[in-house]
Amino acid sequence: MPAELLIPSLINGLSIGAVYIMMALGLTLMFGVMHIINFAHGAVYMLGAFAVYYFSTLWGLNFLFGLALAVLLLAALGVVVERVVYRPIKGGLEPTLVALLAVMIFIESGGWLVFGVLDKDVPSVFQGLVTLGGVSISVERLTVIPIVAAFVLALYFFIYRTRLGSAMRAIEQDREAAALQGVDVHQVNSLVFAVGFALAAVAGGLVAPIFVLNPVMGEFPLLKAFIIIILGGLGSLPGAILGGVILGLIDSVLTTALGFEIAFLTAFLLVILILLIKPTGLLGRA
Amino acid sequence: MKRLLWLAVLGLLAAVSCQQGPAPAAEREIKLGIATPLSGPSAAWGTAHARALELYLDEVNAAGGVEVAGTKYPIKIITYDHKYVIADAVAAVNKLLSDDKVKFISILGGSVVAALEEQLREADVLGLHIAYAEGVVHPRNPRQFSYFAMPYETTRAWAWVKEKYPAIQNVATLAPNDETGWWSIKVSAKTAEQTGLKIVSREFFERTATDFVPILLRMQAAKPDIIDVTASPAGSVGLIVKQARELGYTGRFAHWGQVNMEVVAKTAGTAAAEGFLAHGYVDAEFLPPAAKEWVDKYLKKYGPPFDPTTLDFSSGGFALVAGLKEAGSLEPTKVAEGLRKARFDTPWGKARYGGKEAYGIGNQIVYELPISEYRGGKAVLATTLPVFYKE
Repeated sequence: MPAELLIPSLINGLSIGAVYIMMALGLTLMFGVMHIINFAHGAVYMLGAFAVYYFSTLWGLNFLFGLALAVLLLAALGVVVERVVYRPIKGGLEPTLVALLAVMIFIESGGWLVFGVLDKDVPSVFQGLVTLGGVSISVERLTVIPIVAAFVLALYFFIYRTRLGSAMRAIEQDREAAALQGVDVHQVNSLVFAVGFALAAVAGGLVAPIFVLNPVMGEFPLLKAFIIIILGGLGSLPGAILGGVILGLIDSVLTTALGFEIAFLTAFLLVILILLIKPTGLLGRA
Repeated sequence: MKRLLWLAVLGLLAAVSCQQGPAPAAEREIKLGIATPLSGPSAAWGTAHARALELYLDEVNAAGGVEVAGTKYPIKIITYDHKYVIADAVAAVNKLLSDDKVKFISILGGSVVAALEEQLREADVLGLHIAYAEGVVHPRNPRQFSYFAMPYETTRAWAWVKEKYPAIQNVATLAPNDETGWWSIKVSAKTAEQTGLKIVSREFFERTATDFVPILLRMQAAKPDIIDVTASPAGSVGLIVKQARELGYTGRFAHWGQVNMEVVAKTAGTAAAEGFLAHGYVDAEFLPPAAKEWVDKYLKKYGPPFDPTTLDFSSGGFALVAGLKEAGSLEPTKVAEGLRKARFDTPWGKARYGGKEAYGIGNQIVYELPISEYRGGKAVLATTLPVFYKE
């Protein structure tokens, strides 16, 4: 592949991969700590995008401020869902799975009623093109990479350098032992829901100026996030990052080189291969 | 005595209930079922489809209905959203045929109609569709009609493009990866090549796709002068235009199906959409008088902004009424025969059914086709393609 195709497709792959990473981090965090599969994750991603649309496009707030508000709002929704949906079910895997599926359907259906049927747009925030070696690259897509990197670093700091993060890791290792040591399990569960929802909201908010918005916009990224966490290892944060980069590059570079059918097929073949050779994923633990 | 009186009352009630009275309202109405995408990426088309038929048929109903063999029948519209998802469309059409018992149906979506082809053929139903798919208009489907210009007709615009813009030589195509996209692009590419243009790239995308950059990079390497996005929905086209411009593409775009340029320009920006060539979509101020009348009616009922897509999408209503009148019958087979003979007016002017030389059956609507060019934020009427199917 010539450099004028390789460079932009690599950058695009990293940019799309960054969005996938934000989606997958929330999903894998919730699975790792609480052992739940959040089917509503794609719907939360959509709500994050629409929140940015309302805050920055309709109400004229600064984009980054709007994104911050969207993240806080969706984090609060995470707390509500934990309290109203998850806690009464008492954490059973199957009932939680079905309940979160219902939350997804509820949010998406409500989305059609509230947001309407026509796609919505958030105008470009970081406009312009950067020319690298005679190749044009959108500033908007480039900007996604450092923003996601900043969020990933903040998440790592939170999980590995704060008391609440330690509590989350303690619950991940042994819920009952953590509770016996005085960790408030309900509080940590609420926190995990809040952080998981916030990460999905960041992903949705970041793509809002790049793509168009509609109530089912989260379904495809959710599928991608599932592929990533299987690739990287269920519950593994570094695995989600590695998986996101791999899938982003496959989607971008392979599509440019060989067409989207081959890229789509390769992602699934890779998942099958990983499941056969290392069922716990690239960086997952048994 | 009392017992006899009760028996007499019961007998009277039974007699009254058995008596043949005037048919109930439900039997005196014509049901038109609409299955169309009212949500999802193709919602702009579906909304225009439903509104266009509703606007004209409400007017017909306000005048007492359509007169068939001396009796006036109101037309009742029953609409379902199929989201441009085949499974949902099958469910919607099953409901229309089995529960609502419609005899007339209008479906939007080539892949959808193609998937339902056999079912529609077997059912005693007359179809008036907006469907880009091979075989929809075919002698094996005598009761299925297309009321929207097909690529065989619209892609004749390539000859006009070649003459008007001689610098355009290389064409790249990008269409949805389904029956509609494959067939539309096959026809468009063939016509372009017959015109002397060169197809330098052929690409497809999943309808759920939002990131077109990897595909556009591939296409850009082939150095096209124009990218043909026929059959792609407006939401996707807006993203394609926006992302292509971000990659530095300076050429034109064309859509020989029908695309809502307001949606495209909103997503891509008016500067990015400059020079876009499209079939059918013309802004209100550049329309002929009959079409302007339609604009006024639309704005009165739905308010601004006007959706120019409804101009073409209204033809099904005009065709149905003309076919019913011509046939003098409510039987779908007879109405089909009536449709092939009928002459009727649409907002774009005189129309009829024809196209036997291309499809083997005259079930394709025929009228002069408008071609627009997007200039300075407006979809301007650039030319009109003459009718070429014989009477």
